[in-house]
Amino acid sequence: MTPALIDADRSSSRRRLTELRRPPVWVAAVIAVAVAAWVLFLADGTPAGAAVDDPGKFLVTVLDGVTFAGLLFVAASGFTLIFGLMRTVNMAHGSLFLLAAYVAIRVQEAMVGRSRNIDPADVGLLDWLVPLLAGAGVAAVLGLLIQQVFLQWNEGQEMRQTLLTLAITVVLADQMLREFGGLAQRMVWPGAVTHFFSVMGERYAVTRLVMLGIAVLVGVLLWLWLTRTSVGIVIRAGVDDRQMVRGLGINIRRVFALTFLVGSFLAGVGGVLGASFAGAAPGTDGSWLLNALVVVIIGGLGSLKGAAAGSLLYGTVVAFSPAYLPSQYSYYAIIMTFGLLALVLAIRPYGLFGRPA
Amino acid sequence: MNLRERLTGETLALAGLVLILVLLPSLATAFFVNFVMTQTLILGLAAATIVFLAKYGGMTSLAQLLMFGIAGFMFGNAALDGGARGLNLGWHPWAAVGFAILVTTLAAFLLGAIASRTTGIYFLMLTLVYGVIGYFVFAQIVEISGPGGITSIQRPDLLGPPVRLYYAGLLLSVVVYAGFRTIRRTAFGLALQGVRDDPIRMASLGFNVPLHRTLAFTLAGFVAGLAGLLNVWWNGQIDPASISIGPTLILLIIAVIGGISSLEGAWLGAFVYVLVFTYLRDLPFVDRIGITEARFNTVIGVIVLAIMVLSPEGLTGIVQRLRGRLRRRAATEPTASTGGSLPVHTTTQKELGGTRS
Amino acid sequence: MSRLKRRTALALSMTAGLALVAAGCGGGDDESAGLPADQETVAGDGTGSPPAGGDGVRLGILGQCEGPFGGFHEDVVGGATLAMTQFAGATPGSSTTALDGFTGAEVAGTPIELVGIGCGDDTADRILQEVRRLVEQLGANVIIGPLSGDEGIAIAEYAKANPELTVLAGISGSQEQTLQVQAPNYFRFYGDGAIWNAGLGDLLHNQEGWDTVAVIADDYSFGHTSAAGFIADFCAVGGEVTSRVFPPLGTTDYSSYIAQLPNPDEVDGYFWAVGGTGTQASLEAFVNAKGDLTGDQHAGNLFFNPGLAQALGPDIAGAYVGGFATLPGDVQTPEIENYLAAADETWETIPGALSGNEPAPPSVAAAFGFFYGYYTAGVALVEALDAVGGDMSDLDAFHEAISGLTLDLPYGDISLDENRSGVVDVGLSRLVLDESGEVVQETVAIVPGVDQTFGGTFSPDTPSPGRDFPACEERDLPWEGNAIPVVDGVPQS
Repeated sequence: MTPALIDADRSSSRRRLTELRRPPVWVAAVIAVAVAAWVLFLADGTPAGAAVDDPGKFLVTVLDGVTFAGLLFVAASGFTLIFGLMRTVNMAHGSLFLLAAYVAIRVQEAMVGRSRNIDPADVGLLDWLVPLLAGAGVAAVLGLLIQQVFLQWNEGQEMRQTLLTLAITVVLADQMLREFGGLAQRMVWPGAVTHFFSVMGERYAVTRLVMLGIAVLVGVLLWLWLTRTSVGIVIRAGVDDRQMVRGLGINIRRVFALTFLVGSFLAGVGGVLGASFAGAAPGTDGSWLLNALVVVIIGGLGSLKGAAAGSLLYGTVVAFSPAYLPSQYSYYAIIMTFGLLALVLAIRPYGLFGRPA
Repeated sequence: MNLRERLTGETLALAGLVLILVLLPSLATAFFVNFVMTQTLILGLAAATIVFLAKYGGMTSLAQLLMFGIAGFMFGNAALDGGARGLNLGWHPWAAVGFAILVTTLAAFLLGAIASRTTGIYFLMLTLVYGVIGYFVFAQIVEISGPGGITSIQRPDLLGPPVRLYYAGLLLSVVVYAGFRTIRRTAFGLALQGVRDDPIRMASLGFNVPLHRTLAFTLAGFVAGLAGLLNVWWNGQIDPASISIGPTLILLIIAVIGGISSLEGAWLGAFVYVLVFTYLRDLPFVDRIGITEARFNTVIGVIVLAIMVLSPEGLTGIVQRLRGRLRRRAATEPTASTGGSLPVHTTTQKELGGTRS
Repeated sequence: MSRLKRRTALALSMTAGLALVAAGCGGGDDESAGLPADQETVAGDGTGSPPAGGDGVRLGILGQCEGPFGGFHEDVVGGATLAMTQFAGATPGSSTTALDGFTGAEVAGTPIELVGIGCGDDTADRILQEVRRLVEQLGANVIIGPLSGDEGIAIAEYAKANPELTVLAGISGSQEQTLQVQAPNYFRFYGDGAIWNAGLGDLLHNQEGWDTVAVIADDYSFGHTSAAGFIADFCAVGGEVTSRVFPPLGTTDYSSYIAQLPNPDEVDGYFWAVGGTGTQASLEAFVNAKGDLTGDQHAGNLFFNPGLAQALGPDIAGAYVGGFATLPGDVQTPEIENYLAAADETWETIPGALSGNEPAPPSVAAAFGFFYGYYTAGVALVEALDAVGGDMSDLDAFHEAISGLTLDLPYGDISLDENRSGVVDVGLSRLVLDESGEVVQETVAIVPGVDQTFGGTFSPDTPSPGRDFPACEERDLPWEGNAIPVVDGVPQS
């Protein structure tokens, strides 16, 4: 903490230099090389086998990691956007994610006209896009409502805001259980994208690439919004210095509201994508809040670049650990996330692109 | 400390409370003592470690239930002999206690060291991730628990009758309360509070800031471990769901209900939580307004929401305010309104908002 | 400083006051169990002592109103209640919900009073607190429930520590609660999670010609138990399990786990025991990586029920499905019709889980295992009371009477084995498409008299089902070749 704080005042290049000398960086580098060597040449007793022996499986695992990272990015981007500007850790992010999923599923069922065994062939593009917008829209409105009612008047009290959103999460989870029941539900991909292609002899689904495509689209639009529009410039200025923005006479309250709306909308988009990819059920809210947290802790809170990098790293670990751990240890794949987290935090306590606020 | 200082109203009230609690088993029903009050003391102890870290260290930790759980799992592994799961070391119960506490304290030291360079919101999120990773560690590693957890855990003969467990909880609570209050005035406690208020200055004065945080976290882990032991003795079993994200948040909620900046609030919060949990549904007509046991989480969520909106210092804060108002009415002496601001908030605000670079 | 101290003092005295008030409340709430704690210490068994049976049955029901099975709270309470209205002359407390309980139940002159309904959330911790509330605060002496496997182990341990209590398990599916815990006052008139897949291996190996199979199941107790039943059955008749994959609970992206399965041309079929969101997510990951689903190459446990997994697509039609105590709606015997009609007479509607917790005819809920499992427990209570002439004063005799029962129930007779776990008939079914293109279940066979041990694979000395247990071994199964085929809903016996 302290070295980081002091470092922040110095020039960034000098910081990098000093950081490179720190032993954790070397440890991280050694670990990275070792992991790469393991995956490429040594991983014989693993479910996937060494990459040089079975490049198809390796490529598929890479694709799995990248496409899942896309979903992670969409889920985490709204979270990090809200934090970046408002310093609010929106613990209700997962609830908004799940609510959007449920709403979208209901809308899709109404549009297709049946509630179970929906065949992708019966789902047109609109039967997927309209529910997406409806679900994300509901999440956005609810998010805005939460911000207006509970968060606007206590701006700056991060811990209080965090606990408020935490309480909202508890209430929302319980009310969603009451309204939507405990059984798993899912969104159905439109028939237009449920196709397959071959990667070195391994079958691969187009839907996963669609997910990645949407994530890239979200990322590019967010980037354009933040860099090319006047609102975006105000937001970025607000991230750097709220007092100054306020002093310039800009109505930062409106900017806050807009940010929360967009952030919640993104949570909703993530929720609908997630429901199409893996379904929705009670508990999905908690696990996606956690996914978003892991991504932003790795990448650095409040940084869009960080969210992208964090998603990629986390997605890669999630995809590679079950495939490239020795078979008898593949049950521990989920724990490998912790290894990643500890490694990143040992080098950069505020994440890869984070700054000590 | 001289005698007169010790004989303050506070000490007298505390002594009175302890006396009442000591006599409670002959005043109240077995259920009230062995269930309600024993659970209150156990949860209160665990929540007190959250308060300790928040109040003196400026760290809001969501990993305390993990420490609580580690102690329980380790005791089960060491003490059981021939159980269905776990290591079944078959040690003497008190050796198992030592082992459990040792492992918990070591784990707290390690996790604390990794987290020690972060504060505020970052610390909260990181410790939440700890909690979830801990859940997966115990759920996936069948050698130490596996998904079914450790069952048929017996308490040591010394604590055989349930009322003795109550007294053990009471004794530990008194010792821990007094201990945490005493630490405040020790060199370590003063340095810790200095670290909380201004880490940069403390660092430049030559204090090892991360080490102080790590040691505080270790101490809190040790105490949470003691509570965790009481818990497995009270409950007879522990499984990964005992330390999943739901109960983790509940423990924080308990600390928040009581007032996250007041030590005694931890036990008060636990008491209110257990009371609501146990008796709310017995109130006549409460189900007529939709509050059935199925909506228990909504009730708890709304209580926390109300507390965070009305008085972020929790119930003890409300009590203090009422007292302040009463006194204002009695005497015309103006009351210090400082009771309304929460140390945690001011510190986190300072660290997160005040020192931006 | 001193001002602050005075404030704390007030807070503390308030706490003390609150404690006392609450103590008073606590004392007032229960007239029957008002034993001061210090007197109770002589029991020393770790928990409170419920009042012994002099004044009739004080019944507590353990359901789940939160967690993944929260929607089934109504169903399970309804099951126990139906047994009381049908056989003990009870009147339901409401015509539109089972949660209002019942009144006026009496068997052989002994009243059955419902003292409370416990609300679990699928965790052992919570159900322990709920059972303690029912027993120690409300004075229950008979418990019906719980619902899920880990809860069952916890409640069986609780029963063992409280010998005055009588527990009739609901649909809790772990083996351990009966096979290993061995509480003499814990009875389960229902199969465990392994039993529900009995006969599936026989059918797939001997009828469908599968020699090799890959198993994928949730990595927790129920997934392990479910897979263990299938593996024990399939291997006993001579089949071979070539790979076992256990994705952790809470996995979002199943692709890396699906990649560990053999390809469709390397194995005769796959057995799935993945529940919750995983049922569909794992199947979709399979389609993404391995190829289209061909129904005849897949089999699943009860998670393949179209009612539980609403999103199960039409491609899965043709897959075989293990049992879950009741039979799919295509089998209608007079006994089943009577049972469903009795449910419809008891309430006008109940909001069960299968109707999305919207009001629906009670027979919708009654035709599914959650409701039925609690119904069997309720019937067992009534028949056991009848057998002892309503006299519960001799608990050993009462427990012996329960152990000796053979219940003549709509979906087959149920008796108990020496570990007090049900010996039941298992119905196997197949997913088919109905005229409107919906996936529905169709009964294909009934396997009579399945017990917990699978011909010796499982015993009190074996470990709990896990990732490696049981091993794949050929052995004699009592029910091999005894399956009664069912054609168009009519058993061909």
